[in-house]
Amino acid sequence: MGDRKVDQNGPMRVLVTGGTGLVGRAIEHVVKEEGGAREGEEWIFLSSKDANLMDMGETRAVFQKHQPTHIIHLAAMVGGLFKNMRANLDFWRNNIYINDNVLQAAHEVDAVRVVSCLSTCIFPDKTTYPIDETMIHNGPPHESNYGYAYAKRMIDVHNRAYHQKHGRCYTAVIPTNVFGPHDNFNIEDGHVLPGLIHKAYIAQKEGSPLVVWGSGTPRRQFIYSLDLAHLFLWVLREYHEVDPIILSVGEEDEVSIKEAAEAVVEALGFKGQVTYDTTKSDGQFKKTASNAKLLQHHPNFTFTPFKQALKQTCDWFVANYDNARKSRQTPKTPPEMDSNLRIGFIGAGNTAYGIAKGVLQPGVGGVGHPFLCRAGQ
Amino acid sequence: MMDSQTKAEPMRVLVTGGSGLVGKAIEHVVKQEGGCLEGEQWTFLSSKEANLVDLQQTRAVFEKYRPTHVIHLAAKVGGLYLHMKENLHFLRDNLRINDNVLQTSHERGVTKVVSCLSSCIFPDKTTYPIDESMIHNGPPHDSNFGYSHAKRMIDIQNRGYFAQHGRHYTAVIPTNVYGPYDNFNFENGHVLSALMHKTYAAKKEGTPLQVWGSGTPRRQFIYSLDVARLFLWVLREYDEIDPIILSVGEEEELPIKDAVEMIADALDFKGQIVFDTSKSDGQMKKTASNAKLRRYLPDFTFTPLSEGIKKTCDWFVNNYDIART
Repeated sequence: MGDRKVDQNGPMRVLVTGGTGLVGRAIEHVVKEEGGAREGEEWIFLSSKDANLMDMGETRAVFQKHQPTHIIHLAAMVGGLFKNMRANLDFWRNNIYINDNVLQAAHEVDAVRVVSCLSTCIFPDKTTYPIDETMIHNGPPHESNYGYAYAKRMIDVHNRAYHQKHGRCYTAVIPTNVFGPHDNFNIEDGHVLPGLIHKAYIAQKEGSPLVVWGSGTPRRQFIYSLDLAHLFLWVLREYHEVDPIILSVGEEDEVSIKEAAEAVVEALGFKGQVTYDTTKSDGQFKKTASNAKLLQHHPNFTFTPFKQALKQTCDWFVANYDNARKSRQTPKTPPEMDSNLRIGFIGAGNTAYGIAKGVLQPGVGGVGHPFLCRAGQ
Repeated sequence: MMDSQTKAEPMRVLVTGGSGLVGKAIEHVVKQEGGCLEGEQWTFLSSKEANLVDLQQTRAVFEKYRPTHVIHLAAKVGGLYLHMKENLHFLRDNLRINDNVLQTSHERGVTKVVSCLSSCIFPDKTTYPIDESMIHNGPPHDSNFGYSHAKRMIDIQNRGYFAQHGRHYTAVIPTNVYGPYDNFNFENGHVLSALMHKTYAAKKEGTPLQVWGSGTPRRQFIYSLDVARLFLWVLREYDEIDPIILSVGEEEELPIKDAVEMIADALDFKGQIVFDTSKSDGQMKKTASNAKLRRYLPDFTFTPLSEGIKKTCDWFVNNYDIART
């Protein structure tokens, strides 16, 4: 490429993609407020405003600009159960582009480490429990989010391939259900806990019942975003395997959605009625993950107790209601749909198609003529 | 939703990878065996005309030929030894090619895309015979994990395009294909074509034939012209989104050793045959079931292996100068 490569003997320069999201903000807090950064280190928190990572050109440009030695790769198209169910194709395509662009750009600037972020929702649906790190590819994921799941699984495949070909130690973590301040609290598109917090807040304001979608029986392990952030820093500095590592509370701390809803009610002081709309999908019934590998590597880590973390999150939400992310976001279209493309609507059928601007190159390398079939040939 | 084709319009078929092993076979069936219908237009693309890893070039070539149907064969491929070295390259390039072709097809309202998978992408640890429902049931063999994951994702995209946009994009899964116009390179070609070339060279030079591996792995071989005839049937008649295996039956599976002997016969090679067991064998078996195909086409007749090998060897000898070696 002939571009500048990082000086691997200099201090760490960490680029955090998806830096303004739930986990990114938590890492920023730990780095800036809790002494998570070391002397001389530079930490850059990227948002989608800085670069559209679905575009290779923009991704390369931002990597060239910052010359990171280390990357924490959090950026993704994400959403809760119902959003995934509507758009598996888009989740697949957009995330594949982002991940391929980031890993390749990191490789090109000679970055030493990339720590990407998977999720326990990508594991095989039909499986034994608890799930562990060796089982990621052992069967199809849950039908509801197969697009997202396969795209995320592919990060692990990429990591192994970069290691095999170039000796790179790019790896990934697998958190269970994360929650905390700065989450997406949109009721339709957000994850389960922030969705419940927002709904309970509104129900409290309006004096209406809290309607929980689903039966409340599915079970989850929840991990507080600040705990996850501490663990991310530990992985970045100390974890040297290419194979991924699950970051989670133990199996014994798994709770049902009903128990989580009751904890939200308690945290917000909600006094109204709680009902369960069983016409809505439950998603996966359980995804119990083992944190044995984490405990082996990092035996002394203490997780924030669930109710305490939930109270902190609810307090943050109430105090920051106006700024919190609550509205539906229109998904970004991949770059091939914008700068070089006019989207035209033709004919009565309103078929949309794209025309590449001025890209037709006649006579490229010995053009073949189409074979036109005539009877008797 | 509108398609690019009205009911009265004949098909305009674009075949990506049109100059490869399967593409050439389809071209033969279309032009020499009456495989196409009156008024249809068939275009056989090669990488010289468009690099499908590049989105703009993909769009340009679709804009030029305005296909109503696509047979998508283009891929970065190779034999066992090349894959083992280049998993990253095979993963990334094939993901791009496939996304470019499928997404461009969708944007232009292509009615149907038939892509090409391979039985080498199935789970390594599995029960036999393998069938279409098992593609994603476990990790693929380690030797070509990059290629395998990329190919598997065609099936995922097909399902996504159907669920989100109602597109009828599907895929076929051939077992080991062989025939004229293959890649006959010793290191990068597939097993039969590489062996044919090696046998030809050994005969010329009066040296022993060195077969890599033990000769014991078992394979189902399918002649490229049979694959081509089946591809045309899938394009016109097969309506499922789920893929379909195109293969001879399980009883036709045989060890590499037996195929080596057929090649020696076909080329009249009388020298010594040596098995270099220091070289990797790859997968020991990948036995696939063709029960689904047989349900649809109970009477389809496959070219016998010894006959297909003879025809391919004859082609190779007569076309040595232009063959990909």
